[in-house]
Amino acid sequence: MAEQRGLTGYRREDGRVGTRNHTVVLPVDDLSNAAAEGVAHLVPGILPLPHAFGRLQFGPDLDLTFRTLIGVGSNPNVSSVVVIGIEPNWTNRVVDGIAKTGKRVHGLSIEGRGDLKVIEEGARVAKSFLQDASELKRQPVERSEVLITMKDGESDTTTGLGSNRVTAYLVERWVSDGGTVIFGETSELTGGEHLLAERCVDAEVRDKFQRLYDDYIAMIDGTGANLLGSQPTQGNIAGGLSTIEEKALGNIVKMGQVPVTGALEAGEAPVRSGLHFMDTSSAAAECVTLMSAGGGVVNLFPTGQGNVIGNPVQPVVKITANPKTATSMADHIDVDCSDVLSQAATVEEAGERLIALVERTINGRLTCAELLGHREFTFTKLYRSA
Amino acid sequence: MGVKEPPDFLAHKDGDSVAVAVRDLDPGTVKGGYLEGPASVTVELRHAVPLGHKLALTDISSGADVIEYGIRIGTASRDIKRGEYVHVHNIRSARWQNSVA
Repeated sequence: MAEQRGLTGYRREDGRVGTRNHTVVLPVDDLSNAAAEGVAHLVPGILPLPHAFGRLQFGPDLDLTFRTLIGVGSNPNVSSVVVIGIEPNWTNRVVDGIAKTGKRVHGLSIEGRGDLKVIEEGARVAKSFLQDASELKRQPVERSEVLITMKDGESDTTTGLGSNRVTAYLVERWVSDGGTVIFGETSELTGGEHLLAERCVDAEVRDKFQRLYDDYIAMIDGTGANLLGSQPTQGNIAGGLSTIEEKALGNIVKMGQVPVTGALEAGEAPVRSGLHFMDTSSAAAECVTLMSAGGGVVNLFPTGQGNVIGNPVQPVVKITANPKTATSMADHIDVDCSDVLSQAATVEEAGERLIALVERTINGRLTCAELLGHREFTFTKLYRSA
Repeated sequence: MGVKEPPDFLAHKDGDSVAVAVRDLDPGTVKGGYLEGPASVTVELRHAVPLGHKLALTDISSGADVIEYGIRIGTASRDIKRGEYVHVHNIRSARWQNSVA
């Protein structure tokens, strides 16, 4: 434990720990974005989370939207929430879901009142929430309380050779200290999914992992499409990745040599520690949004060609081992480990550098994505709305 | 770690049929090694290979598995000679049959 360098965070009412202290105004649906942004305009310290969906969804697709809204509002990086929806029923469902955490949440619906009255009341509540949040203090926390998520983006072969070996160094230490780490990107396990299935701790986890994987691949196969250029992406191919299997094997490197203790539905929060799979798209913003819904408070993002994604709730730490990207995309890169590729540094040396930077980020250091205003909040849609 | 010559390419596992250029490589003699296993391999490169792209460490027959990380990453879609540039023009996914260049 000696290597734990004085981590601090915000301990929330439900006991979970945040690395940020956002007061959020959360629209339930696309129609309520304008009112949410109106509140944020009047109270500039408020974080609005506009998004594109929430109307006429049904079945599992609607369930996922509710899980995303409630999960993000419940995220420990969020201190309190103003929820705005067009009508009261679904608005209250989101409010009630977030209220289970014990944090303060206030719901407003627009029908029968109009935007301006909602904005006025929402701004008063948001002002009060934000002022109270401004007095919350960071407290000492343990690695075991800081839920890390991870996602690759615009990967290339340097991801598997460099940045993901360095990320794995952190993952192994975080898990051995009792911590929890989530990976996702279901389709991007193809060719190495059997390796992860073998690492599941018991038959229940393995069966759930396999079912989630098989369902996702059946959806892709059902289209009959040629995915070259989509998965792997054009950027992946430009970076030297030739097949989904090659991309997946590089992706899996970052899981280190750690057993898989849980398999989570999209946006589901883990209930135990250790390494967890979450069923997600491999598209960066969709994936990281679902991981925020699952309670992630810091995201590790190894990139090859230089993906610029951020998230409004989780700080996203960019890591690259590609020396060209480290230079050309330096504005976006938090950790340059290209010296692992030239063998000027060992994985251990670069891994310690990554841990130090991630711990500073947990303690409040802003990431490049936060500084550059990257707040991609993107819902996963399972099918067309009714 | 002592001062040593930076590698031209790296392979993941002993027995891999491809390796990754870790700088832009011109045709000619290039030297590299493995993350684990033998320290040094020399290859006569037949094409330019950009940083992050692959070169063949062995001859690979059309239809044969292409191995990286000690695992199949696809199959050769034509005969590949040691020292050739390897990418979507000569290998394809073995899992996603419709995914072809």
